[in-house]
Amino acid sequence: MERYDNSRPTIEYDPMCDSENPQKISFEDVSAAAYRIQSGIIKTPCVKSHMSSIYGMEIYLKNDFLQHTGSFKERGARNALLLLSPETKARGVISASLGNHSQGLSYHAQQLNVPTTVVMPNVAPIMKIENCRSYGANVVIHGHDMKEAKYHAMTLAKEKGLTYINGYDHPHIMAGQGTVGLEILEQVPDVDAVLVPVGGGGLLAGVATAIKHLKPHVLIYGVETEKCPSMETAMRNKEPTSVQIWSTLADGLAVPTVGYNAFFTVKNLIDKMITVNEDWLARAILRLVEQEKYVVEGGGAVCVAAIMAGLVPELANKKVVCILSGGNIDTTILGRCLERGLAAEQRLVKFKVTVSDRPGGIAELCKLLASLGVSIKDIMQERAWVYGDIFSVRVKVVCETRGPEHMAELRNVIMNTYKEWYFAREWDERRRPSTDSLDDVSH
Amino acid sequence: MQDDIEFDEFCDPNNPRKIKYDDILAAAKRISGDVVKTASSKAHMSEKLGMDIYLKQEFMQYTGCFKERGVRNALTLLSDEQKKLGVISASTGNHGLSMSFHSTQMGIPCIIVMPIHAPITKVSKCEQFGAKLMLHGNNIAEAKRFAMGVSKEKKMRYINGYDHPNVIEGQGTIGIEIIEQIHGVDAVLVPVGGGSLVTGIAVAIKHLKPDTEVYGVQTEKTCSMVESFKKNERVAITIDSTIADGLAVNMVGVNTYYNLKGLLDKMVVVKEDWVARAIMHVVEEERFVVEGAAAVPIAAIMAGLFPNLKGKKVCCVISGGNIDTTILARALERGMAAEGRLVKFKVTVTDRPGGMAELCGLLSTVGVTLRDCIPERAWVKSDIFSCELKIIAETRGWDHTKELIEQVKKHYKDYFFPEMPDKQDKVPGARRGPCLAPNPVCMQK
Repeated sequence: MERYDNSRPTIEYDPMCDSENPQKISFEDVSAAAYRIQSGIIKTPCVKSHMSSIYGMEIYLKNDFLQHTGSFKERGARNALLLLSPETKARGVISASLGNHSQGLSYHAQQLNVPTTVVMPNVAPIMKIENCRSYGANVVIHGHDMKEAKYHAMTLAKEKGLTYINGYDHPHIMAGQGTVGLEILEQVPDVDAVLVPVGGGGLLAGVATAIKHLKPHVLIYGVETEKCPSMETAMRNKEPTSVQIWSTLADGLAVPTVGYNAFFTVKNLIDKMITVNEDWLARAILRLVEQEKYVVEGGGAVCVAAIMAGLVPELANKKVVCILSGGNIDTTILGRCLERGLAAEQRLVKFKVTVSDRPGGIAELCKLLASLGVSIKDIMQERAWVYGDIFSVRVKVVCETRGPEHMAELRNVIMNTYKEWYFAREWDERRRPSTDSLDDVSH
Repeated sequence: MQDDIEFDEFCDPNNPRKIKYDDILAAAKRISGDVVKTASSKAHMSEKLGMDIYLKQEFMQYTGCFKERGVRNALTLLSDEQKKLGVISASTGNHGLSMSFHSTQMGIPCIIVMPIHAPITKVSKCEQFGAKLMLHGNNIAEAKRFAMGVSKEKKMRYINGYDHPNVIEGQGTIGIEIIEQIHGVDAVLVPVGGGSLVTGIAVAIKHLKPDTEVYGVQTEKTCSMVESFKKNERVAITIDSTIADGLAVNMVGVNTYYNLKGLLDKMVVVKEDWVARAIMHVVEEERFVVEGAAAVPIAAIMAGLFPNLKGKKVCCVISGGNIDTTILARALERGMAAEGRLVKFKVTVTDRPGGMAELCGLLSTVGVTLRDCIPERAWVKSDIFSCELKIIAETRGWDHTKELIEQVKKHYKDYFFPEMPDKQDKVPGARRGPCLAPNPVCMQK
């Protein structure tokens, strides 16, 4: 962090995102952007969710993950590109991003014939790197985290005379993102509240500007993940502050410092900031897959996670719009989220039980589980560390149940049939804050 | 005695009903407002696959599947006394869900019969929607017999989920919407189970725009319609577990078979492996979750079974999204394996400290993610101090895998990689993998 602040100021200096001179965007900027980008982006549907009845509020989902490159970032990117002067267009643009902004920028730059370079750190997901390349951008992989990548990008910008486009703080970008707010008001005119995912703050700034101008009574809540609470910290300290970020499921939101312009725009405009525990993110992704049949990335699912976690009780019976900002989730991570979601809902259960090692011991256990209607996902045996009878083996079982009551049934039966057993007790403890994890990879 | 119980006057082999366009049009008006008029969106995959693909999003229905249309139509057409007596049906899947949901909405008593080992989620979902559940029989045929017995006993109307004429007419409303929404559509691809969807759509479309081609698609494990056409009469086939469980109907319907002869352009069969890959591609590129049966038309296009449709406007009916989450996870893995993004190989390393570390270091320099590493010591034949590691790794694609293979070959003497294809297909996104065989058999009607 210190290195970032004290390093050669000339390289890091971005005239459009200057901490000494923060810019607000205006409603006119947003509505001009809407007109400007309309031919190139998809006016995504805002549909009523099947989950409304479960949570006691009318939930609408703004499906911006349906854009061409899978995220709302295209709006800001297209707006910024269309506003470039002919000389800057010819020289080209550059940006540092972990994914969605690079993809959005590359896609539209290719359409508008603007040469683009994107710098991504080596932890960027493979799919995103490949996609940017397929859109014709010059992809440079540099650095272990966003700070190093950004520094390198700004160096290249100065060397080659390219224009650096900050993916969440450039005023033209924020104006473009704000068009989501305009569409929401058109599609759900009597909306009561809008939940917006917050990473660098660009989307929040744009949407808040648009909606508060037209309908000031509509509540705007920003939602962040516990592992990267940059906006909440900024609000507390009254200025953008760098936070330590942990490896998070919502990789699109992993920005250590919110944008200066974004903060300046939102600080007196939004109604509330909410932070969500990471466990709810996996469950929200699972819920969106199962109920709505949408594939949404971690950052896109935070709003739904906030509702599921019961963090907005005051919105009961109101019309709430959640912005599903993106769907670019790595397939492996999706698989893992599905599993974690199932575990959190107690539909995936792990337990250990000691059975006889003679023929039939394990068969009996399997038959017992089958009679309960439980399906076995995994079974592992351990012999060396078992105490007691030499003819016994400890079996670790991972199985699928219908839910908490079914799991309780399973537990009772195992308890009554076997002498030695152990069920993991995570659900009994108070939920630990997700910053307690082992990894602290800062992006 | 057997025939008496199973006799369904609406699905009588001696009196098949003709499906008419006017009835479909009437159905459209009847169900309007009670089911979702789903969108037809252009697929992001269109460019890669070389045609303008539109996805008719039937998974956006409330219960996640198109069956609601037929059910709603059939229920609305019941007489008032029948509505009070109620309806019954045997189904482990989407039909059961639609019945449960709409009958509860309309205040009609409903019983759903499922075999004893029906999936947990399906049972609880139907109950949640308000239907009464009965579990009976080892398979769906036995459940159906039982259901028909109960239907005669309690005078509840048995609604056959793929053969009742009103149900077929309801499904046909999709055809009308396709013609309205996709101007100049050249072909429509429809997954085929019992046949209600393809029959209804074919009747509607051939009436409105006869030059549009209608194709039915099935998998090699669920090819009851294909076999019936081959033998020129309805035949029953045995069905093992299949990823396209929505299409797992042993014998196609009386009315569907009767109406389809001469109407359909062609039936196509696609291998199950392609279906898993199609599910994965739809997740990755369209960001929708679709079930196996719904991914079958896309699988057929990916497998290169429709070369005649290149450059045309093609509509794929994405019939439903009710896929078991575990099956979804598995389909994603299989898809990745087939595209060469998940690699499995064995290599013998030294069992002394550092052996495994060195291999892991090598994998990380190549930029490959290590998924699983299982050591095996007992069956190794060489040096007593070595151990064979079975590795499952994630790569960026075939080229990356080749790089990995080269590096491993350079550094280790003893290794084993499964068969890799030498050349790749020219159609991007339609790559082959070790688990796939070259593709099958297109059947003539």
